[in-house]
Amino acid sequence: MPKKYCLATLVLVASGISVAEADQKDNPASASANIGVSASAPAAATANVPASSRKKTRAKKVAAPANPAASAAAVAPSLSGASAKATAASNSTVRSTSAEKDSADKAAATAPPAITEQQMFKFGGFGTLGISHSSMNQADYVIDSDMPKGAGRSSDWSASNNVRVTAHVTADFTPRVSAILQVDSEYRSDGSYRPEIEWFNVKYAFTPDVYMRVGRVALPTFMDSENRDVGYSYVWVNPPADLYHQLSIPNSDGVDLVYRSEIGEAGNTFKAIYGTNTEKSPNSESISKNLWGIFDTFEYGPAIFHLSYQQRRSSSRNLQTGVSGEWNNYSDLSVGASYDPGNWFVISEWVQHRSTTKVDAMYFSGGYRINKFTPYFTYGQNSAGSFLSDSAPSAAAIERANRAQSTTGVGLRWDFMRNYDFKVQYDQVQLSNDSNGYLINVPTGVTLYGSKFHVISAVVDFVF
Amino acid sequence: MFRKWLILPLLLAVAAFASSTQAASSVQAASSVQAASSVQAVKSRRTSKNAQAASNAQAASSVQDTSSVQDSSTVQNATSALAEVVVVVSSRSSVKSLTAEQATKIFLGKVVSFPNGQAAVPIDQPEGSAIRDEFYAKVVHKNPSQLTAYWAKVIFTGDGQPPSLLGDSAAVRKAVSHNPNAIGYIEKSAVNRSVRVVLEP
Repeated sequence: MPKKYCLATLVLVASGISVAEADQKDNPASASANIGVSASAPAAATANVPASSRKKTRAKKVAAPANPAASAAAVAPSLSGASAKATAASNSTVRSTSAEKDSADKAAATAPPAITEQQMFKFGGFGTLGISHSSMNQADYVIDSDMPKGAGRSSDWSASNNVRVTAHVTADFTPRVSAILQVDSEYRSDGSYRPEIEWFNVKYAFTPDVYMRVGRVALPTFMDSENRDVGYSYVWVNPPADLYHQLSIPNSDGVDLVYRSEIGEAGNTFKAIYGTNTEKSPNSESISKNLWGIFDTFEYGPAIFHLSYQQRRSSSRNLQTGVSGEWNNYSDLSVGASYDPGNWFVISEWVQHRSTTKVDAMYFSGGYRINKFTPYFTYGQNSAGSFLSDSAPSAAAIERANRAQSTTGVGLRWDFMRNYDFKVQYDQVQLSNDSNGYLINVPTGVTLYGSKFHVISAVVDFVF
Repeated sequence: MFRKWLILPLLLAVAAFASSTQAASSVQAASSVQAASSVQAVKSRRTSKNAQAASNAQAASSVQDTSSVQDSSTVQNATSALAEVVVVVSSRSSVKSLTAEQATKIFLGKVVSFPNGQAAVPIDQPEGSAIRDEFYAKVVHKNPSQLTAYWAKVIFTGDGQPPSLLGDSAAVRKAVSHNPNAIGYIEKSAVNRSVRVVLEP
C-alpha cells in the first residue's frame, strides 16, 4: 500500500470535509439537505414570513386535500434541489387534479390549506465507504457470490465488500402518480463499479394505503433485502452473510401491489410482486420469468413479524457458447421477527432457499443503545444444500452444494454525526466439514474444509 | 473508480473531523442556530423560491450532530430547555385525544388518518431542535439516528415520505390551528386556545 498517498489523502479529505461543513453553514443553497427534511419545508418555514405563507395557503385551498393524499400516497421523497419551475408545475397540477380527487380521498370535505409547498423532484441518496480484512489469505471472502474478488487472497485490505453509493430521485407528478429512479454503484461481477438502475418505477396510489408500481422494484425476498444497500438503515456492516448469500436476484421488472391495513393497534403491509429479471455477468446471462412473490409484514408496537414467499423459473445462458441451460424452479421462503422497544433490540430471520437443492439459513442478532453507541452481536449459519429425495446427485454435485458455514460477530455502531454512522465489526467464520463456505478463488486442488478465520470491517455509512 | 488505499484514510478523516466538529461546536451549535435563523429569515424575505434551501439550511445547521438533549443543554435555547412537549390538533378538529401509539403511527407515516377516520397531516419541527428530539424520544421512542434510519428505509424503498416541516412551535401552532387535519408537537407553554392538546407524554 502506498503509504505516502494515505497521508496526502487524509489531509486532502480532511480539509475538504471541513470546508464543506463551513460552506454548509454559510451557504444553505449549496448544501444537500437532511434526509428527514421533506423538500416541502420551504414556504411557511419561518415565522418571519407569515404574510407570504398565508397568501400561498389561501391560494392553494383547493389543492389542500391533495396534501394528505400526497403525504400518504407513499411516494419516496428525499430532499433538496428542485427547480422553481417544477414547483410551479406541480402546484398547478395539484390544483387541477385535486378537485376531482376530492370525493375519492379520505380527506375532510372542507379543504384545509396545504402546510407547505410540495416540490416535484426530490434528490437524495446514500452510501457506504469502508474496508475489511480477512485472516483467510488462501481464498477471498465476499458478501455476494457474484463478486470476482474479495478480502483475503486478492487483497489484504479490501474495499470491494464495503463500498457503494446510490443516487435517488423521486418525482411527485400528482398526488396519486409519482415515480422513483435509483441508480447504484457497487462492486460488480465484472470487477467494475459500473452504475446500474436498482429502482425505476411509476407508482399509482389508488388510496393512501393501496398503491401499485410498474417498472423495476427491488425484491423484498428477505427482511432487509429492499434496503440491503442502505447501510445506515441497519446495525451490521453488511446484512448477515450466511443468510444473505441465499439471495440470488435483486430486482423484479414488472408490477407490484401494496396493501396496508390497520387491525386495531396493529398494522399490516401486504405486498405482491410479479415480473421478470435478467442478470448479466461476464460469462453468462441468467433469465428469470414467472417471478412472483407475496410478502407480509405485521407490526404491533415494538414487534415486527415478517413472512414471505417468492418463486421464479430461471435458466442460465452461456454468453460465449450461446448454449442455454435447463429451466429450474427457485423458491425462497422467509420468516422473520424483530423486537425493538428503543433502548435495545433483537432480530432474527430464517429462510429456506430451494433450487435443485434446499438450503436453510438463519441469523439471530441483538444490540443495546447507549447514547450514540450501539454495541451488537450477531450469529448466523447456513446448511449444506440437500438434494430432493428422488434425485441422484453425483459426489461432485453434493460437494459443490455444500457451502455450510456459520458466523459469529460482534460490532459497534457509532452515530457520530447526523446522517452518518461509523461501524466496526469482528466476524469469526467457521466453515463446516466438507465445505469451503462462500469463499471464492480457492486455489485448485486446495480444500479449506473446516477452516476458521476472522474478518474485521470498518465502514462509514451516510445518507443525504 | 475507488482506489483501495483511499478508503482507510477517508474513513478516518471523516470520523475524525466529524467528531471534532461535533465536540468543538456544542457551544457553536447554539450560536449557529441563531445565526442560521437570521440568515434564513433574510433569505426568506428576499425570495420565497429559495425558501426551501433556506429552511434546509436551518435544519442542516441548527445542530451538526445528533446529540441528545443533554449534550447541548448547557447552551441551548432557554425556552426549549424547560419545554414539556405536548401533541396538539386544531381546536376545530373532532379529535379529542390520542394515545402515544396512535401518534407514533401518524408521525411515522404508517397511518394517514386519525382513529375516527379523519385525515391526519403530521407536522415536524426541524432536525436537531430540542422539541423534536423530545417528542420522538418520549412518544415514538426513537432517537434522531434511529428516526433517520427508519425514514431512510422507507424513503429509499419508495414506501412513504416524512411529515411536512415547519420552523418552530409558533409556526406549527399556527398551521395546526388553521388546518383541522393537522397534528403537531409544541411546548406546553406555547399552547393557546387555537389548538387542543390531545396527548401529553
